Amino acid sequence: MARKRNRIDIIADMLSSILDKGGEIKPTHLMYKSNLAHNQMKTYLEELIEKNCVRKITKNNHEYLIITNDGSRLLEKIREMKEFERTFGL
Amino acid sequence: MIQLVYNPHWFYGKDIIIDIVSIFVLFLIAFFSIKFYKLNKRNKNYLFLALSFIFIGCSFIFKIITNFTIYYHILETRRIGFMTFTYNAVNSSHILFFVGFLMYRLLMLFGLYMLYSIYLKQQKSNIFLISYLIIISTYFSSSAYYLFHVTSLFFLVIITYRYLKNYKKNRDFTTKLLAYSFGMITLSQVVFVFVAINTFLYVIAELIQLASYISLLITFIMVLRHGKKKK
Repeated sequence: MARKRNRIDIIADMLSSILDKGGEIKPTHLMYKSNLAHNQMKTYLEELIEKNCVRKITKNNHEYLIITNDGSRLLEKIREMKEFERTFGL
Repeated sequence: MIQLVYNPHWFYGKDIIIDIVSIFVLFLIAFFSIKFYKLNKRNKNYLFLALSFIFIGCSFIFKIITNFTIYYHILETRRIGFMTFTYNAVNSSHILFFVGFLMYRLLMLFGLYMLYSIYLKQQKSNIFLISYLIIISTYFSSSAYYLFHVTSLFFLVIITYRYLKNYKKNRDFTTKLLAYSFGMITLSQVVFVFVAINTFLYVIAELIQLASYISLLITFIMVLRHGKKKK
């Protein structure tokens, strides 16, 4: 059975989903790509925007979410942490 | 009389360099582990790993201080001879040696026990009991040197076994290299147990220790690189 995702896993999945889409994504796509319910995504998104990891922009009357440099750095740190955790069996 | 120095003359000072390399690797990994803990405070194992590496690193600092007092003592007696003037210097060296060596053994054993406890969860009563046994075996034992290395060996065998199990589960190069690094640290402890037979064994044990910590550093660099590359 798959392990339940924790807060850090969800944030990493959200940031990865934006990055995989070339750095910008529509909010609904992000919700599906990171397997989140609407309310859940809203909470995490607010946190990421507050921490300047993600920014909202409007293009052709559509809302997009873009990953910032801080967001990319955070994702890099989380990936390093996960690799460290796996290697040391933490 | 207890033999204090197992180190051949020509190797004096070189073991200090090996210990400095070990301290650098241990503190570097501890620093990153604390950084990762700040990112994910729910997983306390990052903090325990950092603390155990800091303990082991500090134990090497005390080992260096101890070695300095021994080398200093030897140089002094050579230069000044048996004049009354040297008597006090020798006495203070003994105190420094005793405290340094005691702290080296205590911190090393507590560090290894903490690392061991990450993989084999301990009950509170167990922690007190083992801590008590570590303290009395370090402080009161007449064969403290052997007891210290055999106890370290015991902890290291179990830690290495856990890393080997982790490698079998993950099957990748970094987990394999980590198991090898700790395997080499374990091997160095085996050789340290027998240094009384021949002082050259001390050199071999120190060189194995150097190789193991370099291997640990390479493992850590690879972990960071893999982490960056991962999609």
